[in-house]
Amino acid sequence: MKHLKSLNRKAKKLDHAVQEDNLEEVMAMQATAGCTSVTDPGWEVDAFGGLSNLCQPMEADLYGCTDPCWWPAQVPDTMISHPDWNADAPSAADDWRKLGDVFPKKGR
Amino acid sequence: MLSVKDLKQHLWSLAAVLLVGACSQSTSEQTPPANPAITGYMVAVNRPDNMHLIDLATNSIVRTCKLPAYAAPGTVLISPDRTVAYVLANRFREVYGLNIDTCALVFSTRQNHDNLRVISYGTIALSPDGRELYVHQNPTLIMNDHYEVQDTQIAVFDTAAGLEAAPVRSLPAPRQIMIMNTDAKGTLYLMGPDVHAMDVQSGALTTVIQGRSQDDPRYGSRDALTIWPIGAVANELIRLYTVAKYKDESRNLETADWLWGYDKIDLTTGAAESREFAPLEAVYFSGMHRPGHPDQIYMTFNQLKRFDVNAMTETGSADLDHSYYQVNFSPDGNRVYVSGALHDILAFDAETLEQVGKITLPGGDMALSTTAVFKR
Repeated sequence: MKHLKSLNRKAKKLDHAVQEDNLEEVMAMQATAGCTSVTDPGWEVDAFGGLSNLCQPMEADLYGCTDPCWWPAQVPDTMISHPDWNADAPSAADDWRKLGDVFPKKGR
Repeated sequence: MLSVKDLKQHLWSLAAVLLVGACSQSTSEQTPPANPAITGYMVAVNRPDNMHLIDLATNSIVRTCKLPAYAAPGTVLISPDRTVAYVLANRFREVYGLNIDTCALVFSTRQNHDNLRVISYGTIALSPDGRELYVHQNPTLIMNDHYEVQDTQIAVFDTAAGLEAAPVRSLPAPRQIMIMNTDAKGTLYLMGPDVHAMDVQSGALTTVIQGRSQDDPRYGSRDALTIWPIGAVANELIRLYTVAKYKDESRNLETADWLWGYDKIDLTTGAAESREFAPLEAVYFSGMHRPGHPDQIYMTFNQLKRFDVNAMTETGSADLDHSYYQVNFSPDGNRVYVSGALHDILAFDAETLEQVGKITLPGGDMALSTTAVFKR
């Protein structure tokens, strides 16, 4: 965290929690409700600034990320909010055409 | 998956049988056959609801059982008597025990009920005698207009309790625990930001490896991907981490050595070990020691790699046609397998790293599923 700078309101709240020594509570949210606080930037570039260390192909990693709610901003989470999103698409590489967008459900 | 992004996010802080010829009656004149027979089985889970028993001698599926729920995440444990496979499934919510030979459902948990939602990651373990199942629980009460996050805990289940079992006791446990296993004495090890040992009777906790909390000025903050509870076939519980090791007190990241390390629990002795073993030059998702070869670690992601732990050098490499999350071995250590992500498992000669088999699972993706290898 010491090398990261908070840019948006949510990030600043996380930063504030660290200053108040409430880091454990913030970390807990990532495990318990991971869909709300994971801030991974996405599939664009790997840790070394290249592409070779990204998942190959991206479909190989798709359900590995939707299952644990890893990138809730980019893909629906099938752990909590959209458990049936890929029910008719067991193979991401073969069935990707069956995967659609999701929208907030009425009443949530 | 995750580690790529984690590394991105934390770049700054950034694993004879039977040499069938070598039986007890063999003499020094006899030599093992060039392709020693592999004995053992693997249980693998994939979408939508499949649990496969694979014969490692032929790389073929012996039987496919149906889980009563979504397969994910598909973390598999085998009972000590090799008759039951316990699978954490149903979107991280419940554990199901299936008889490996008959596919009969003989055990299940009831963690989620009423307005209680319980999520468990790869966090299941069995007592050495198989009588107890340990599950790390992240409970949340779902109220009308808000959630109430409950304390995390280890729920202990009686494996003879049948279907929809309730815990027989619960023990307070740290948050963010992702993988677990027990040693020969029954001590439960929990891997999360740090590594803890728990007395499953008293609940007493001790921290045996400082991971995130390590405060050695020679190092930057560790980054660990902890998803797959692997290593049992090599008698270990192990996870990888990355770290920057500084050259001097200036803690200059530009000149620091970037390294791979592992946190390991010896499942016989309970000994904890944490050390670096390879330069950080590429991303890997999981790694473990080769059974019988404590000096060798194999890691997988877009390539399968072998490293000499003591020399901290790469000693073997095989290109993979797509990403594979998890590495595993035959009980004798002569075959190494990569699995996870899509729906095929590759088998390699552990010595030459030549591909010697491919098992295509009927059905969909394994995704995060963790395979289990055992011998009868």
